[in-house]
Amino acid sequence: MQVLHPATLSDALAALREPGARVVAGGSAFQIDWSQGKARPEVLVTLGALGLDTVRMTEGGCLRIGATATFDTLDHSPLVAAQLPLLARAVRDVAAPSVRRLATIGGQVGWGVGCLLPALLALGARVGHATEAGQTETPLVHWLAAPAGLVLWLDVPVQATGTRWCWRKVGLRAAFTPSIISVAGVVPPTGGASLAAGGGAVRAQVLAASAAALDNGADMATLQSLLMDEIEAPDCAFRSGAYRKRVGAAALAAGLGPEQRNSPIAAQGHLPKGAPPAGLRTLARDPSSPDWHMRPDMPAKVAGDAGYLTDLRSPDMLVGRILRAGRPHARIRSIDTCAARAMAGVYAVVTHADIEGLNAFGIVRQDQPALCADIVRYQGDAVAAVAAVDADTAEAALAAIVVDYADLPTVSDPAKALDPASPTLHEGGNLVAEFRLDKGDPAAAFATAAHVVKETYVTPRQMHAFMETEGGWCAPTPDGGVVVAVGGQHGARDREQLARILALPEDKIRVITSPTGGGFGGKDELTVQPALALLAIKAGRAVRLHLSRSESTLAGVKRNPMRITMRTACDASGHLLAQDVRLLADCGAYASLSPAVVETAMEHAAGPYRIAHVKSHGQLVYTNNGTGGAFRGFGANQMTFAVECQIDRLAAACGLDPAEMRRRNLRVPGSPGYLGHVVAGSERLHEMVQAAAASALWRPVSATAHDIHATGMALNYQGNGLGSLPHDSAEGRLSLAADGMIEVACGLDEMGQGLLPALQAAVATHLGCARSDVRAIVGDTAHSPDSGSTSASRGGYVAWQIGARTAPALAQKLLDAAANILGINADDLRIVAGGIAHKGQNSATPPELDFARLAAYLGKGRLPAETTAFDFPKTPYTKGNARFVHCFGATLARVSIDRISGMVRVTALEMHTAAGPVIDLSAYLGQIEGALVQGLGLTLSEDTLITGGHMITRNLDSYILPGIRDVPAHIHVTALEGLDADDTLGPRGVGELGIGAVTAAIANGVGAALGRWPATTPFPPEVILNMLEGHS
Amino acid sequence: MTHVAFTLNGAETALDCAPDRPLVTILREDLALTGTKLACGVGRCGACMVLLDGVAVNSCLLMAWQVAGRRIDTIEGVRADPRFAPVLDALAQANSFQCGYCAAGVTIALAGALDACADTDDAGLMTALEGNICRCTGYQSILHGAQQARARLRAERST
Repeated sequence: MQVLHPATLSDALAALREPGARVVAGGSAFQIDWSQGKARPEVLVTLGALGLDTVRMTEGGCLRIGATATFDTLDHSPLVAAQLPLLARAVRDVAAPSVRRLATIGGQVGWGVGCLLPALLALGARVGHATEAGQTETPLVHWLAAPAGLVLWLDVPVQATGTRWCWRKVGLRAAFTPSIISVAGVVPPTGGASLAAGGGAVRAQVLAASAAALDNGADMATLQSLLMDEIEAPDCAFRSGAYRKRVGAAALAAGLGPEQRNSPIAAQGHLPKGAPPAGLRTLARDPSSPDWHMRPDMPAKVAGDAGYLTDLRSPDMLVGRILRAGRPHARIRSIDTCAARAMAGVYAVVTHADIEGLNAFGIVRQDQPALCADIVRYQGDAVAAVAAVDADTAEAALAAIVVDYADLPTVSDPAKALDPASPTLHEGGNLVAEFRLDKGDPAAAFATAAHVVKETYVTPRQMHAFMETEGGWCAPTPDGGVVVAVGGQHGARDREQLARILALPEDKIRVITSPTGGGFGGKDELTVQPALALLAIKAGRAVRLHLSRSESTLAGVKRNPMRITMRTACDASGHLLAQDVRLLADCGAYASLSPAVVETAMEHAAGPYRIAHVKSHGQLVYTNNGTGGAFRGFGANQMTFAVECQIDRLAAACGLDPAEMRRRNLRVPGSPGYLGHVVAGSERLHEMVQAAAASALWRPVSATAHDIHATGMALNYQGNGLGSLPHDSAEGRLSLAADGMIEVACGLDEMGQGLLPALQAAVATHLGCARSDVRAIVGDTAHSPDSGSTSASRGGYVAWQIGARTAPALAQKLLDAAANILGINADDLRIVAGGIAHKGQNSATPPELDFARLAAYLGKGRLPAETTAFDFPKTPYTKGNARFVHCFGATLARVSIDRISGMVRVTALEMHTAAGPVIDLSAYLGQIEGALVQGLGLTLSEDTLITGGHMITRNLDSYILPGIRDVPAHIHVTALEGLDADDTLGPRGVGELGIGAVTAAIANGVGAALGRWPATTPFPPEVILNMLEGHS
Repeated sequence: MTHVAFTLNGAETALDCAPDRPLVTILREDLALTGTKLACGVGRCGACMVLLDGVAVNSCLLMAWQVAGRRIDTIEGVRADPRFAPVLDALAQANSFQCGYCAAGVTIALAGALDACADTDDAGLMTALEGNICRCTGYQSILHGAQQARARLRAERST
């Protein structure tokens, strides 16, 4: 590519005559195009030297906006603010500030797409453009129909005093969103209305007929109906054309019509009330509080210096790339790597033929090939990999690998995966796992019920979207082994799986898994480790590899989409009688942890409620729809969505408030669990209902002309640990290090949840030292023991127990050693911040013997250490997998339903939790808030779209994560920390608690407002609009 | 190939590369400056933000030719600049991040916004962060840290 920087307009026009030349200004739109494979122009012609970046008033009453004026310039221009309030308002809805600093008005016009165009059309903008024939001005609407010449400026007539105007962009989230439709309207006091639509997939268009009707006095209802006819809008993967028309028409009519008075809303049922339980503690974010501790890794993270495994660089490191199948289902006829291997700078090309061990992995069953040999089963399947001197060479080599495929029919509809006629993905058919539970006599119970509700709940293929995509580095070691440093969630298990693939003994493999830039379950299974290790071994060199977001999207595991059909019955007083649950889950191409996810969902099928008569049946099926696996909540949150919405529907049917309905049905503390198994004590469900009932968020449903507000709640009941069947144990070590630090070693991973502060807190609490005396060694099989996986809300318990189980014995050793040195009886000493002190010593004075001096005195080899090994607490139940330990919560959401767009916003979130003592305030709060917002995303915007096995979602432009504008200004979190007197388990983990019930709370808020409950997530706004119409 | 010269973290820097090579690639792949993170590559997450003549932009969207003659400050430069120490310090003290992979980009966005106007109100802080995606925190801790950073800067400038 060549970039030309003409100094004059004539030079610019000459440059644009070069073959393949394109104008570039801010260049902000090119990367998306190029990332999707569109060709790069041969020549880019910049306009920076032409002085086109200003905004000024013309004599003709227009603002002349130079083509290279950025959106940021418009946003900050006093002229625009004063003369074109519509444009000033619209520009703030385009992209984000960082992109607005690059993107230009000329680019928007030149590309002919973008959400500002309707604003410019409605304002009657004219395009000043240059050709060899000279400079002319053309109305924007004509220019867009037949673009010609180089855009130099826009002349936009100023808005006359007294002009009515409106602007509305409807997207997929609150800010920095792709446009679904944008509309603008201008009604000058002298007449001559102008209306326009555009944005995203909607062609920029002037709505002349509707505008004419408006001039002729059409009322708003007529205008809306005319607009529905006039707006042209296509379907896209996210929204239908019909929705776009409906929203565009409604937005213009509402925006230009008279201000409407609040519409009355029928009062909904009773609101819960009461006093909160004693001891409920609000978790406040207060850095001056003694409970607030800065995390040890925080300064480095803020400074971009945290040492992520994808950040290591050294001159001798090769760069790896993986060849993905790119097709959902095919037989591999041949793989030809000759050309790739022959390329200069290529050091290794690996395929299945390079695998010495088992070409299969998977935590539950080994059904996924490290590199495909004969069949590819999803687009992201790994087929080959390359290590080369740099990324460009590696990518060129990938492109030179020739794979001959014979495509196979795909399985894309889970409902058809079990048809006898369906293609099968694996030997033994497409049924991966199946779970049934029958108890009592559901048929008879349903027959006697006063109320029965039935619904099918649909949950999305949520993407983990950890900010650090999968990657890291791998280096061969002199003893014939490898170091594999890739973000993960269980190094020892990664090592076990890699040993099988590489045919190496486990002690030749060192796995480093921390720090990890986010996991959420998506790095529990192996990701890039097999390909990376094969490359390093074959090249005999260190190799680094970091997936692009699009490759991560294509290849990574996702949350299993589920369809849960639930029929629930109660008697006239609201007591639950019977439930029938059918669940169908999409496994994708390989099992990974999906069978355990579905089993966990089924284990939570009655939530925390007593239901005597149950019939349940869950199935997990293979498809070619990507591949599924672990994700925070692990099936429980999907099932809770269904259960908790059923409860609210039945409450409404019985005329009970949501808290009272729950109170009447809660399980009795100490009674057997849903499967009939023994569960741990310290149950706090009644207290959670009490806390929820006392919430200030319970306010009557209220409505304005724009939106409807209401409150919903749901209960959390989340099992901790892997369950009764899998092996689930942990080891830990506590020692005095040579430099005087108290070193706690734990094989769990720091992936953001706060393992480091949890370990510091656990040791400081049990040893008596300060947190700053403690150094945590985590996530490295060479330096930390196997503490099990960083998953299943088990880390909090494990970290705490390592401290509790090792500290007393280490303390005694430290005191004995100190007693020797100081010549004082050990019983007269105690451990304090920084070292050992006399029992009577004032805490303000330094310790008698600090840890560093103690370590120096003892010397290497005599430093005390303690180890521990323990099982995660289990229930003795073995007929299926069941959890012993649970944590409890109640989530409340205040929702706002937009009457124009049907989009739901959460304006307040509150969560009450009961999971034992809070180990670290900041980490606890962060886990709850973060999980709530992850659940909010699942509920309102997140889904990985796949059609026929082909991924539609490719990057974060088409995967809609919540941004800062999508979250409530304040999230209120409480903890009820007390445990039963005989409870020795200590703190529970809260990694998943926050995500458990937020979907149901939001849905129940909508249900409270509309008397109808959205059952598909993310909520389709079109469905909400239909509910709104039914409501009114 | 084109020759690109620019000021990187205060030092004159020059290199030969394709004119459309993204700045984030130059930083991470060519210069081993991995403080700048890469998470989407298409300007939708803000992890790769740098200061371009003092204002935050996505380095994945900036092509090499666009930085010629400009001043680029990455997190490596910002963390060494005493002017920004109160911002970094406040974000750290507030435990604003969890996994931390978005942190450098958020820090850059806030450094740029607060440097331009230390009186930015909460709405302004939120606007400044509209282009930064955080997957861990739910943004509460980030906004809190941003408020603390603003308070620290104000206090510093009033003395």
